[in-house]
Amino acid sequence: MNRGLAGSMGAMTVALALASMTLVRVDGQARSSAAVKAPAKTWSQPRTPDGQPDLQGVWSNAAITPLERPAAFAGREFLTEKELADNEKALQPRTRESAGTEAHYDFLQYGLDPLQAKRASSRRTSLIVDPPDGRIPPLTPEAKKRAAARAEARKQTGPFDGPESRSLGERCILMAGEGPPMLPEAYNSNIQFQQGPGYVAILQEEIHDVRIIPLDGRPHLGPNIRQLMGDSRGRWEGDTLVVDTTNFTDTTNFRGSSENLHVVERFRRVDEETILYEFTVEDPTTWTRRWKAELSMVKTKGPIFEFACHEGNYGLANNLSGARAQEKAAEEAAKRSGK
Amino acid sequence: MIVTVAVLAASLAVRPVASQDRTYKAHRTADGKPDLNGIWQALNSANWDIQDHSTAPGPWAALGAAGAVPPGQGVVEGDEIPYLPAAAAKKKENFANRWTRDPEIRCYLPGVPRAAYMPHPFQIIQGTKTIMIAYQYAGAVRTIPMDDPGPSPTDSWMGWSAGRWEGDTLVVDVTGFNDQSWFDRAGNFHSDALHVVERYTPRSPDTILYEATIEDPNVFTRPWKMSMPLYRRVEKNAQLLEFKCVELSEELIYGHLRKKASK
Repeated sequence: MNRGLAGSMGAMTVALALASMTLVRVDGQARSSAAVKAPAKTWSQPRTPDGQPDLQGVWSNAAITPLERPAAFAGREFLTEKELADNEKALQPRTRESAGTEAHYDFLQYGLDPLQAKRASSRRTSLIVDPPDGRIPPLTPEAKKRAAARAEARKQTGPFDGPESRSLGERCILMAGEGPPMLPEAYNSNIQFQQGPGYVAILQEEIHDVRIIPLDGRPHLGPNIRQLMGDSRGRWEGDTLVVDTTNFTDTTNFRGSSENLHVVERFRRVDEETILYEFTVEDPTTWTRRWKAELSMVKTKGPIFEFACHEGNYGLANNLSGARAQEKAAEEAAKRSGK
Repeated sequence: MIVTVAVLAASLAVRPVASQDRTYKAHRTADGKPDLNGIWQALNSANWDIQDHSTAPGPWAALGAAGAVPPGQGVVEGDEIPYLPAAAAKKKENFANRWTRDPEIRCYLPGVPRAAYMPHPFQIIQGTKTIMIAYQYAGAVRTIPMDDPGPSPTDSWMGWSAGRWEGDTLVVDVTGFNDQSWFDRAGNFHSDALHVVERYTPRSPDTILYEATIEDPNVFTRPWKMSMPLYRRVEKNAQLLEFKCVELSEELIYGHLRKKASK
């Protein structure tokens, strides 16, 4: 698996979504969360032996809806049915080639194309539902300074100087969609819920990270323990699991966040095949107000396979050695032309 | 309700467990199974060396006593690992190079059974159809289905697990390993033909007897076994913390590919 393309695949996903707004109808019935009605009268919430609503199993949160509403859809919360259908027809498999080489990346070949992912259909034009414009709120002045300092620091080094030059995803430390909040990944966007007495555990396929969420009302960790994925605490409000996460590091950097990031997620199984997932993000030192998004997860066939990302990270090694080879070639070319 | 009774009846029909003194009967979960839920940790030096070992210097002389290998009684029954002759030579070579070749140093997934005796806690979360074991070390995790998942579709670091109950014992049959992990820091190793059978038997409210039978015809002349107690982490609010160690291993793995400072 060439993880070197991973960083750009995230960008590609967004670019593709912006360009074509491809939304796929999975079950012949477009569903937006606004149109999610109360469950059909024949379905009742399954429960675990200790009485929790049963979320267990493997679910896909793949989506083509972008997080933020593209400018082309300003003022429009939903597509029409026809627009949704047209987008489905327009969806093309993604391939990528590198000019002048034999390298190609065919997503279909390994079942990694979004066409092949099971996902909830949605007429939404963005996952963000609040603010009403479907966009992340403005950064605070403090956050703008932080972002500028980061950009300045990046200018001091090249994009392939060392492993720290690359994204946390490319280094197999943390994928961009892991959060919390959990966002769709470019592929293998699978999540497994496991429940035991007093706990809900959420396993994300990429990168085999498990959030083990106690339900006993204990306080968060003290302020001096920080974690890339924060520290989660959960409780049931009726049939909705509410998960509160704090104690993030300042390198988590979710869309520019600081260590004051605070995420509240809500999970509710609305029928046999669907979990409605909503999340609220706030960080008063980063955004001028909090923001909220929602998407649905659909039941998919398990099991989740082992995602031994770091163990197989040839991509990062290849990127760095490729950069060193390019530098060497440039050096030698300069020497030759200098003579 | 009917399903629970049927399952209980089925588990009683299985052959009795090996002749050990099993007077303790574990607390039951809400669906009638032995309750292994909780946070557990081994309390031994098996991760340094699964066989008997004396105090020895560690890899950094500067750390003196703080970096030393502690002494320990081994966890291997009979203290002998029955290597084939060529494999015994390979083990010696691994041992001689252990401070660079041990996959733990690179933050690689620990495999089974090593995950159970890393110096980190792990948590068992018992669902109805699957049992999850989440390890603090490197976020390693295994989902153990309690109905037959069929043969392993591909190799992995943590193997392909299938679970069943034998009385109060959780038996986990693990296959589908790659050949990359070690059993300890002393260079004990296996091939991709490794087959492990784990047994988790509650022996008191806060301890589990953990046994693992190792079979690998490419490396060993016969199966062999290790066993140790696992202790419940009884602190109030005990929890697994994040041990994301990839960053700690990057200099070792990628340092030689780093751009050199310009002259």
